[in-house]
This record gives sequence, C-alpha cells and structure tokens, in this order.
Amino acid sequence: MKLSLTMLREYVDIPLSPEAYAQKMIMSGTGVEGIDDLGAGIENVVVGKVLTREKVEGSDHLSLCTVDVGRESPLQIVCGAPNVAVGLLVPVALDGARLPGGVKIKKGKLRGIVSEGMLCSATELMVPQELYPSVGDAGLLVFGEEYPLGSDVRPILGLNDVAIDFEILANRPDCLCALGIARETAAALGTRLREPAIAIKEAGGDIHQEVEVRVEDPELCPRYCARVIRNVRLGPSPLWLRKYLHSAGLRSINNIVDITNYVMLEHGHPMHAFDLDQVRGKQIIVRRAHNGETLTTLDDVQRQLRPDDLVICDRDGATGLAGIMGGQESEITENTKTVMFECASFDRTAIRLTGRALGMRTESSGRFERGVAPQTVMAALERACMLVNLLDAGDVVSGAIDLYPSAKEPQVIHASVKRIQDRAGVEIPPQAMREILERLGFGVTLSGDHLTATVPAFRGDLDGEADLCEEVLRLYGYDHISATPLVGVTTQGGINPMMSLRNRVAAILRGQGYYEIMNYSFQGIKEIAKLGLPQSDLRMQPMPIRNPLGEDTAVMRPSLAPDMLKTLAFNMNHSTQAANLYEIAAVFDHHHPTAEGLPTERQQLCLGSYGPSADFYTLRSVVEALLRSAGIACEVQPGADRYYHPGRSARLVVGGTVYAQLGEVHPDVADRFDMKGRALLAEVDLQQILADAHPMGEMKPLPRFPGMTRDLAMVMDEAVAVGPLMKDMEKAAGSLLENISLFDVYRGAQLGQGKKSVAFSLAFRAPDRTLTEAEVQKAMEKVQKMCGEKYQAVIRA
Amino acid sequence: MNIFQTLQDIENQVKEELPGLGSTAAVETLRLRLLGKKGELTALMKTLGSLTPEERPKVGAQINQVREWVTQRLDEAALAMQAREREESLRRETIDVTEPRDPLPVGSAHPITLVMNELVDCFTGLGFEVMEGPEVELDHYNFELMNLPKNHPARDAQDTFYMDDNIVLRTHTSPMQARAMLTRKPPIRIICPGRVYRADEVDATHSPVFHQMEGLVVDEHVSMANLRGTLEAFAKRLYGQDITTRFRPSFFPFTEPSAEVDLTCVACRGKGCRICKGTGWIEVLGSGMVNPKVLEMCGIDSNKYSGFAFGIGLERIAMQRYGIRDMRLLYEGDVRLLSQLR
Repeated sequence: MKLSLTMLREYVDIPLSPEAYAQKMIMSGTGVEGIDDLGAGIENVVVGKVLTREKVEGSDHLSLCTVDVGRESPLQIVCGAPNVAVGLLVPVALDGARLPGGVKIKKGKLRGIVSEGMLCSATELMVPQELYPSVGDAGLLVFGEEYPLGSDVRPILGLNDVAIDFEILANRPDCLCALGIARETAAALGTRLREPAIAIKEAGGDIHQEVEVRVEDPELCPRYCARVIRNVRLGPSPLWLRKYLHSAGLRSINNIVDITNYVMLEHGHPMHAFDLDQVRGKQIIVRRAHNGETLTTLDDVQRQLRPDDLVICDRDGATGLAGIMGGQESEITENTKTVMFECASFDRTAIRLTGRALGMRTESSGRFERGVAPQTVMAALERACMLVNLLDAGDVVSGAIDLYPSAKEPQVIHASVKRIQDRAGVEIPPQAMREILERLGFGVTLSGDHLTATVPAFRGDLDGEADLCEEVLRLYGYDHISATPLVGVTTQGGINPMMSLRNRVAAILRGQGYYEIMNYSFQGIKEIAKLGLPQSDLRMQPMPIRNPLGEDTAVMRPSLAPDMLKTLAFNMNHSTQAANLYEIAAVFDHHHPTAEGLPTERQQLCLGSYGPSADFYTLRSVVEALLRSAGIACEVQPGADRYYHPGRSARLVVGGTVYAQLGEVHPDVADRFDMKGRALLAEVDLQQILADAHPMGEMKPLPRFPGMTRDLAMVMDEAVAVGPLMKDMEKAAGSLLENISLFDVYRGAQLGQGKKSVAFSLAFRAPDRTLTEAEVQKAMEKVQKMCGEKYQAVIRA
Repeated sequence: MNIFQTLQDIENQVKEELPGLGSTAAVETLRLRLLGKKGELTALMKTLGSLTPEERPKVGAQINQVREWVTQRLDEAALAMQAREREESLRRETIDVTEPRDPLPVGSAHPITLVMNELVDCFTGLGFEVMEGPEVELDHYNFELMNLPKNHPARDAQDTFYMDDNIVLRTHTSPMQARAMLTRKPPIRIICPGRVYRADEVDATHSPVFHQMEGLVVDEHVSMANLRGTLEAFAKRLYGQDITTRFRPSFFPFTEPSAEVDLTCVACRGKGCRICKGTGWIEVLGSGMVNPKVLEMCGIDSNKYSGFAFGIGLERIAMQRYGIRDMRLLYEGDVRLLSQLR
C-alpha cells in the first residue's frame, strides 16, 4: 500500500528523513517495500504564462509563443501543442532542464527559429493526465489555479514528495488505511496523532422518513449504518481529493463516489453510495439470498446466488452483493438527487466464500475478508458526511441509522508482567510496558505483576498475553533480545534411520561418480504413460491434485522412473557424453492409504546411467553394493517391469521381497522419451531396505589354517544361467567351501554351436585344521557330479 | 709360480677387470671364477695341505687376506652396479605424467541436499533430532493445528494444492510441529527438513516445489532470547563468527511474538552490496514463540511450557551459496552444472 509522506504528515508528525522513518517502521512491525521519490528526474521546470502566440509559417501545427517565466524579458518558445493559448499557465522546461526518463532540454532551433525551452504536457512530466484539463497526449498541462510565475512546478504537482510502499501483515487489516499507518507511526515514533475531528452540519429532515433499513441476518452483518444526503450536487472533486485518490491508484469518478473512496483510504472502511430514488420502496433489507435467486451486478454480469450469500435488497429483490459489489439500479448517475451512504461490517468468512463462489474480488471485498471492525463503522460514515459538507456536495439529512444489535464490548486482556518478560527473554520494565501499550491506544492498569489492557476497537487481532508480549516487545525493540543459549535438560540430537540410510546410499553413489538430481513430486499422466504399463497397473492411476498448475504437473508421481528417463534424455540432447544420476524421493500411492487416510509415501532411489562405460553388470554391481551395505544379499531374477529391456533386466530379490529392479531401458520407451541412445535404469526400494536392514555384527576372525583352491572349467549349454548354477555348486560343495567365483566365460568354434565354457575358482578351508587333499577332492567330486547330472556340464580338460 | 705370485696375480686380475665389468651378472661371473667352489682362491686354499706346518699359518693368513680383499671389492662393485642398473631401469620406465586421461567423476549430492546436510549437522550438534513426515498432509495438521482455521484469510497467502477438502500438499514444514508435539513429551528439540509445495507458477525465483527446514523447541522457560541464541549459533556455524542476526517483528498465525530473521549479508559482511540491496542484511527465515493456542491444540500445557519454532528456506541459501541465479536450474538435472559440484 503506497502512501505519500506529505499525506501522512497531515495526520502525524514525522520528524525524520524518509529512510530513517522507513527503518523505524520496519523495526516496529510495518514492512516497507520501497520509497519512491515522486519528483525524481525533474529539474528546472517552472510555471510560465503564455503572452503571445503566432502560427509558424510553413507548419500546420507549430506555434511561436512568448512566455513569461517571471524574468525581466519573456522567453521565445516554439510549441507543437494544439491547446496552447494566450493567457494559459503552463509548465515551462527552461534551458538545461531535466524531465523524467533522463530527457534534457536545451536551447535550440526549430525550423530556423530559436526556441528557449519547452512547454510540457502531463505525460512529459509523468503526471496523471486526469488530474489536469488537457487534450490527449499532445496537449499541454494547464494549471487551473494561479501560481507565481517562475516558481518550481514540483510542489504544485505534488512531486516534491515521496511515496512509501507499506507491506501490511495479514493480521493488521487496521493498517490498510492512512489513519491506521498514522496510528502505527505515532506509536513507533512517539509523536502525536491528529485524527480528523468530526463535525457535521445537518440540514434538517429525518432519515427515518427517507429510508427504512432492516438487517435479517445480524450474524453476517453485525452492524449497518446509513446516512442520507439530499439535494445532491454531483460534480467533479477538487484537485486535492483527486490527488489523494490517484496516489492510491483509484480513479476519480464524481464527488459522491470519491468521498466513499476517500473514507475507505483514510479509515479503511469500504462504503457504498445508493441512488436512494432508485431504491424501490425506500427499503434496504440485508438478508441471505434465496435458493435460485439471481442478481445482475454493476459489472453487468448475471450471477446465480446461494443461500450462504449475503445480499442487499430493496422492496422488490436483491440489488447488490453485500460488501462485494453494488447493483445497477441504484448506481450513482448524473441524475442522482438523493444518496444513501452505507457503511457496514460484514462477516469476513461469508464475504470470502461468496467472493470465491462467484469468482469476484473487489477492493471492498478484499478489505472485508481481512476484517473490518464493527466498532469504528459509524466514525467512518460521519467522516463521509463531513466531506459532503466540505465539498458542498449535498445536504446531510438529520439523523443516522445504526443497526448494531449486539454491540461489541471492549476487549480486555489480563496478563502477567513476569510472564511477558519470560516469553520475550527481555526484562522490559512494567512502566515501559504501560507506556508502550498506551501509545498503541490500549487502556492499561498495572497492579504489581498484574497488567490489564483494554484493546482499542480497531484491533481485532489480539486475544491473549502472548499477543500483548509481541505488542510490547516490538515497540520496546526486538534489538533488545540478546542471544542466549538454550538451557535445561540436555537432549540427544541425531538423524533418523531413513536419513542415515539415505546418507549411506548417497555416499556409495557419489564414490561411483553419481550426481544427485531433484525433480518435482508431481508429473503428467502422459509422462507416466510413456512407460507403457498396462492400464490396470496402479501406477497408471496416480493420485490427482485437485487444482494443479497444469496437465504436466497434475498427479503425484507413483514412480521416479519417468523423471529420470526425461533427465537422461535432456542430458543426451545437450551433448553430454555420459551421465550417472540418482534421485532419492518419495513416491505416492493413494490406493493403499495410511491409517490417517493419507497416501502411502515410500522413499525410493532411482539410478540412471548412460555412456561408453555404462552396462548392465556395472549398474547391477552398484545396486548390489548398496544392498550389501545394508546387510542384504539378494538373488538375481531375470526380468523386470515392461519398460525395461526384456532380456537385459533383473530383479534383486530375497524370498518374495523385491528390493530393486534394474536393466537397460526398453528401446520403445527410450524412443518415447526421445533418447539418443541406450540407457540404464535402476529403481531401489529404500523403504523396504530400511525395514529389513541388518545391523553390522561382529567381524569374523582371520583364518588360522591354510586353505586350498581348485579351478573347474566346464562346457555347458548357452541357456544355463550361471547364477543359479553357482548356488547349486555351493550347496553341493558343502561346508568346507569358503568362496566360489567365476573367472572366465569362453565361447568358441571348437566348443560347438550353443555351448559355452565357464570356469570357476573354488576356495576351501576348515576353521579348525589344515585340510587334507582327500577332503577337498571329495567335495570337488560332489560338485562335478551335480553339475553333470543337473546341468549336463562336461568337465573341460 | 709360487703361491704368493698367484695371489698377486689374482689381485691384479681384480684390479684390471673390475672397472670394465658392465653388469651385476659379469661381477657374479668373476666372483665364481675366483671365490666359487671351483674358483682360483678356493683352489689355492686346497693346496695348503701340501705345505709344511711352519709355512701353513703364514700362507693361510695371506690367502685369507686376499680373499677378504677380493670379496670386499666384488661386493662394492656389485652394489654400485645394482644402483646403476636400478637407476637405468627407473629412467626406462619414465612416463609422461602430463598426458591427459578421462577425468573420474567426483559425484555429488544436489545443492539442496548439501545445504540440508550442513544445517542438519549444525542443529544435531545443538541437540536437535531429525524428524520427517508426510508431504501429502492433512489440512488438520498443515493449517488447523497451526492456528489457520478453515477460511482464514492468511491461508490465501499460501497458494495451496488440494487433493480433496481435507488433504493438501503441505505448504510448509510446520505441520511437523504438530506431529512432534502430539507424539512426544517436552523437552522437544527437533528439526524437520523436507519438500513443501505452493501453487506458484515457475520462474527464476519461484518453484511449486521447494524445501524448508522446520525447527521446534518446547521446554520450560524457553524465550525469544533462546530463539535468538539458537539461530545465532546456527548462523555463525554456517557462515562465520562475524555473522549476527537481526530480528524484525512479523506475523505467523502459529507463533506469537513472531520474527522475521535477517542475517548479516554473507557477500559483503554487512557493508551493503547489490545482493542485500545495500541494507547489509539478508532475509533468511521466519520464526517466533509457539503460539500458546497451538501448544494447547497439540496437548501441551501452555502454562508450564513454552517453545519457539523457525522455518528456513533451503533454496535461497543454496542459490546464494552456489551462485545459482535461476531456481529452475535446481530441478533440471543438467550434468554440465552438476559436475561442477563437489
């Protein structure tokens, strides 16, 4: 909210520079987003009077003028504006002047005629055109009042001012107006507040003869006040009022409407003006809408209403949406003769819900949503009538309507001085508390430790001792809070098991040259569909967001795979030769909700890899190492989800539990993700690993007796899978076998088509003795026998 | 030729031949010829038996003397030769150590994780425990227990993604305060890092997904001064001993009093620069004393206990620390950027 410093100074003394003032406000809780110097860039522009004007020969629009700028002799200036005329008072940019935007004005020649300056338009001075009578962009700004010739135009145009952009906290709707900021300023600076004194000249009559007001739902409309103005003299507002509105970004309409807006800007109370002659039956009824009722609002839209919407009606039906927008029938027009001012307080939730339901948000509804205090409604209405007097915009009918059935009692907060000090951690003296609260408008009594504070009517945001603590502390100064270490019981800090697992996994991956990536937790169903899963797969029915940003961020991701594939493709398409990436994040499954009804969130690890050295076995080794680090030794089972290459993918399994799946990306899927080459993917269920991880136990002692190693090469069918074969060999070899490893796989013509030679090294050892040749020989024979019988493997010489 | 002449001859042979020998093998050949089983000196020793008892000691001593002398000379020569040969072999094996090879990727965590780990280290050292919770959260925890009842206007400030009327994507890590207080008894000191969501359109400074770290302390006699002490300890650990905090009054429905906390600008150390817009301060987090209403709603006696809470945005710290000017880069996974991390 922007307020000009000059305007604020009408209400309160500010004996500080704009910067120092802003700092004071920031440190007492009123944010300042910026300070604009309104006259920045204007120099040497003065008031001048056009003395003569002649047409320049050979030009259809240029005039040669002489202009009096208060010097001994007038200046000669060539001007192109159509509205230049003898006798006008206009802004004159002198030789060496500066205009906004860095424009410099120099004495020069136009069509061979010397011009000693420039007459300026509102646009050239960046002054709102609507404040001054002028003719379009090309027209000169014309001063409506007399000013000494040669005087600086900046103060006249209100450009010797700064506008301060205040940032009002959500709990302080009372500060959304000039008076509110002035009150805060007075409290923060300890200076005096000047509230406009209210004095209305009533012109007789009786308001109750003019209009009847009935509030049928005092819950949604706790207070409704009205005043009537007769013999309305509609016309333009004076310059000071137009400037006031303009500085807040509002357009001047006419004196009556401008008065309501002025009061809103000054007091924070939205008002509405009715053409009372158009109010049928001279009746105003505030009630909930009937089911199916419709209403055409000022913006010419017909709206369907619900019973929760509060409407303003006349005898014949709804004419306006309370607190949001008025109706067309009773709009102020040039024929308006009698006006009723409405100033009311509406329930903020009701206004908010109606605004939401109808998709309407106005200046007025925004203020009601944030809260408008019923206690101060009448003061605002009186102020409006006072302005009617001041502008002579009509005659104020005697009497006021004030429907306020359950007037709010002043709020009283009881507090303990000691507890306020304890909470703040600052020893604020009780007298300082009293003084601060009084500056803020509280009524205070202090008796020993007991502090009683009566909250000012305009503050609806306070309800306890903690709030008083903040009020006191923010004006006493947050700078008084001194950094003090925590005391009390020592607590055992530390990370949780999942974070510990993630850290361990991440450390292993980083050691292998992997980089971590992060993607959004939501994605588009189209991306998921690229995986080619069947419709029945639950991942194809992910949890939808009701109000997503877009189609591609509409569902919570059920898998990290699509984002990883997308990222791999992105890097391939940016000429990165190789990449090893990982992401650790939750995936969401609302088909299996938690006890609280929330989707299950499982922490997953996804690996992606491509490049010259990326292959299935390397990736499998990485994943196996991750599992081994958690004490989980998996079996490799061929095959994985269908977005993997059917012949180059596997699951890592213990019993029925799948811990990971990995493999080459299916070429169809790679195409759909626009990948330029082969890539590998692995998905690891960290949640499952965390559940099943084995803690590290004692280490095995080093062997005390020598072992023996035997090699065994066998020829077998290509179809024999080496993994299960080795498991069987281990079993056959018995307890003396310490380790078995594969050291060669050979294929060649002499072995024959469809055959391979596989060579193993078997290490034997007994923990308690030196093995004998015979023992090892016996074990080897069992192994060979099993391989021959079960796998038709033949020993190679 | 008498024995003495033979010995003299052997000495002369050694003196003549040794300097010309080119390898340890050649020295070994000479050793065998003179000292081996069939060597010349060994042969001389065998002749001692044919001498008179008077001659024997004298001649024997003479032979031994020569043998020792020869052994010594040969050992010296062998050692020198070995050293020379080792040197030669080292020279032969020299490689061009400046020849480039493919760089081994260092691997790295994401900037956000790097920052998160740093903060976690810092606060666990102060006795805080890490707690994590759901990202898809009940409205009840995200808003209501945080003193933001339904239709509260302050909810508008947090553009919320809704799953349905009661379930949201958490808009802050604050619901973890409620989860902690409902499941633990004071003293509570926890931090809760994690992803949060706001319906913001994506641009250089906004992301619908970002990260926060919540902190919560509930105990007897906890004050704003303890909040400042804790945050200052964290700031100094993260950025250095010269960093201090500035507390500005603010508003959060779940804290009272509330404070926006600025840290001394890390770039200019408080002098004022482009990054801090000349103020010397950068806004880093929101904080305050836990609103007694929140304590009560979460089953904690607000007469006995008080607490403070804070929420730190991780993106801002990461972007500032790593010079990332566009938030979108954090979520793009471009290896050309990631590979600069370590």
